[in-house]
Amino acid sequence: MSGARPAGGSAWRERYAALIRAAWLVDLQYRAAIAIWLLWGVMEPLIALGIWWSIASGGDVEGFSRSDFARYFFGVTLVNQLTLAWDAYYIDRWIREGEMNYRLARPINPVHESIADNLAYKARSATLILAVWLVAAAVWPAVRMPVDPGRWALAALAVVLAAGIRFLNGYVTGLLGFWTTRATALMELQFGLSLFLSGRIAPLTLLPPAVQTVAGVLWFPYVLAFPVDVLTGAVTTPAAYVRGFAGQVVWLVAWWAAYRLVWSRGLRHYGAVGG
Amino acid sequence: MSAPATPRSAASRPLVRRRAAAMLRALWQVNVVEELQYRGNFVASVLGTLFWMAMALLTVALFFRHTTRLGGWDYWEVVVLLGVFNALTGIIEAVLRPGLGRLAGEVRSGALDLVLTRPVDAQLYISFRRLDIWRFVDVVLGLALAGYALVRLDRLPSAFDVVAFLVTLGAAALVVYAMWVALMSLAFWFVSVENLSVLFDAVYEAARYPVSAYPGALRFLFVYLIPVAWTTTIPASALTGRLGPATAVGAVAVAAAALAATRLLWRAALRQYTSAGG
Repeated sequence: MSGARPAGGSAWRERYAALIRAAWLVDLQYRAAIAIWLLWGVMEPLIALGIWWSIASGGDVEGFSRSDFARYFFGVTLVNQLTLAWDAYYIDRWIREGEMNYRLARPINPVHESIADNLAYKARSATLILAVWLVAAAVWPAVRMPVDPGRWALAALAVVLAAGIRFLNGYVTGLLGFWTTRATALMELQFGLSLFLSGRIAPLTLLPPAVQTVAGVLWFPYVLAFPVDVLTGAVTTPAAYVRGFAGQVVWLVAWWAAYRLVWSRGLRHYGAVGG
Repeated sequence: MSAPATPRSAASRPLVRRRAAAMLRALWQVNVVEELQYRGNFVASVLGTLFWMAMALLTVALFFRHTTRLGGWDYWEVVVLLGVFNALTGIIEAVLRPGLGRLAGEVRSGALDLVLTRPVDAQLYISFRRLDIWRFVDVVLGLALAGYALVRLDRLPSAFDVVAFLVTLGAAALVVYAMWVALMSLAFWFVSVENLSVLFDAVYEAARYPVSAYPGALRFLFVYLIPVAWTTTIPASALTGRLGPATAVGAVAVAAAALAATRLLWRAALRQYTSAGG
């Protein structure tokens, strides 16, 4: 790329504006499909909430009342929707079906297209889920979050970091398609484990202590459970905030490093096989 | 007018049925030969199923860390239900997704034209044209899990229980089939929706647990509006001896009604179809 004109901040703004606009317009054709994915995303927490609601009929479950469960799983629907990333499946297809080739011929790293796709998709689904969420909160007082703008700002930050980790995690998993034909199976595997380790099926404190320990040293809690806990007010002490945000930053950097490594190695491998 | 028509149609109906059976046999033979080339998929499919079964068992175990009963069912009873869930999932993945699952894309692209011009019933052909044979292993694994759970319950189902189980499992498969056809028919009205089968996946999640485990509003939803309650809870009840004869008859009636409604919906949907140019 030695001949390319140096890209300043405004050039990048233009590129991203074009990429996001294109992604937004593509999504526009699939509004109904996006609504279906949203419904799919809501059903799992709703079912988990239904079960915990029944279990908590006899009294609190280790300190969790029915309305605690309701708030937690409503937080899960929101954070999950805002951090959802499908990139592993796209990248895997790009590599297997050769769509990666013309993307490599462009003078811009394909990762920027994926980031723009995610921003456009999330902007669209965020407005949808927020509308659903506000209606639910209006009719069902149990799920209302305490009004506290400071905490909401922190929750927003935690969601952005979580979305970054989840994006890079999916992207790197997809790039493993350079070496294996079962990259999507690896994504499924992580998806299955995240049921417990991310807190999709239950708040982490209800898991067996050994599982909590395992979760604590992986990235899973930082992409869902931590932002949800910030949102619902379950994180209270400054030390807990620091631990959570530090964990998010560490895993964001780790997955970014993994991306750099897998991308450069993968490209070399890809050229060697395809050439 | 109707007098001469009656004997002719009465004579041709067995012929049509025999032709349809011969067609399906031929399709499936080709299908099996094709799939046998990809035996690696068999291993991957079994590993995948075992992984998701383990996740499901751990989920139930997690709930039972905090309760002794789920909707009145104890742990191994819920595991029987999970076995039934896996068996039905096997039927869905082996039969419905490879065939009906492609319908939405074909409505959008107009490829459905090729199906409609064939001299066979379109619903029959689309529903059963292709089998993902490796996923039938899920049926075996699911039934094995249910059997193991029955051993742990120390419960030997009577001959009557087994018959009731087989009948209600068949009814459950029909309800699931009807839900698929109903959902996929939506593609005729909302053309740009290729992920319609995800709608089914979303609601079918609810069938992992006995319907009595849900609070009132959800239970109403799953029994009367989206009939997932009729899929796993009832056959599992037959095995654990919870099924009354009235509910068993009710399950069969629901399946018959769902199937009839599906046929009407399918006809209405086809009238909507105007191919890709429409």
